[in-house]
Amino acid sequence: MRVIVRTLSELCITVGSVIVLFVVYVLFWTGVRADDVMDDQIDLLRKEWSKPRPPADGTSASPARPAPYAKGKPFAIMYIPRLGFTWNKPVLEGTGTGTLKKGLGHYAETAQLGQKGNFAVAGHRRTYGDPFKDFPQLRRGDAVVLTDGTTWFTYRIDKGPYKTVPSDIEVIDPVPRTSGYTRSGRYLTLTTCEPEWGHSHRLIVWAHLDSTQPVEAGKPEALRR
Amino acid sequence: MGLVPWYDGRDGMYGWIWRHLPGNTWVRALISLVLVVAVVYVLFQYVFPWAEPLLPFNDVTVDNQ
Repeated sequence: MRVIVRTLSELCITVGSVIVLFVVYVLFWTGVRADDVMDDQIDLLRKEWSKPRPPADGTSASPARPAPYAKGKPFAIMYIPRLGFTWNKPVLEGTGTGTLKKGLGHYAETAQLGQKGNFAVAGHRRTYGDPFKDFPQLRRGDAVVLTDGTTWFTYRIDKGPYKTVPSDIEVIDPVPRTSGYTRSGRYLTLTTCEPEWGHSHRLIVWAHLDSTQPVEAGKPEALRR
Repeated sequence: MGLVPWYDGRDGMYGWIWRHLPGNTWVRALISLVLVVAVVYVLFQYVFPWAEPLLPFNDVTVDNQ
């Protein structure tokens, strides 16, 4: 009898300690790691962008179709002033679990940055650095600024946050249903989970491309203080 | 040093480990500390990263890839 009680109590202590450690891991450690990894991804991009580019020769001067993004690799940095003046996150290609640990994920089948169609991006609400923790604060008219190293893209939010169910894949259509857009255009969609720690719903915001400018022209209006 | 199995001992699993560690109390305490750190490392490095995606915090996409 004593052996059973003792074994049971030791088991409880062990399981309890592991649960406490796991909570520490989810709440704290994933954030520490993600901040490191995201900084690394941004450094990677900056390094890549600072390399001298091959001069555009006459034959390939027409920027008809940009090169496809490499899966799991960063290709842009996103800035959302509403989420904080220092808020900036790398955007990686793909929305796999491993990819979303390193930054925001671009839905691979959606349009490319600044192109006609819908540039759709997913991000964690909680854990892994909490990139979209303040997602519900986004309002109509807020700027979502992205750069791919050559161009600044300023999107303006038109609608959101819109709550929907996880199977509602029409929200990332080229002309998203329920977004209010009726004609094709250059749109942006952000998705994250709702409620904060749950997975029963998704929060969506939609934006349209407002302006673009080359990086040589300096930061866009929305990022100046 | 008793060679009884841990479930037969007087002080349970942790007592059994303690009794099987070599050296005096200080050495044993040090080895215990190293063991604890090793267990935590394995949990944080391998077990938790595997378990975490099974929880709902990762579902942020609308197409469930």
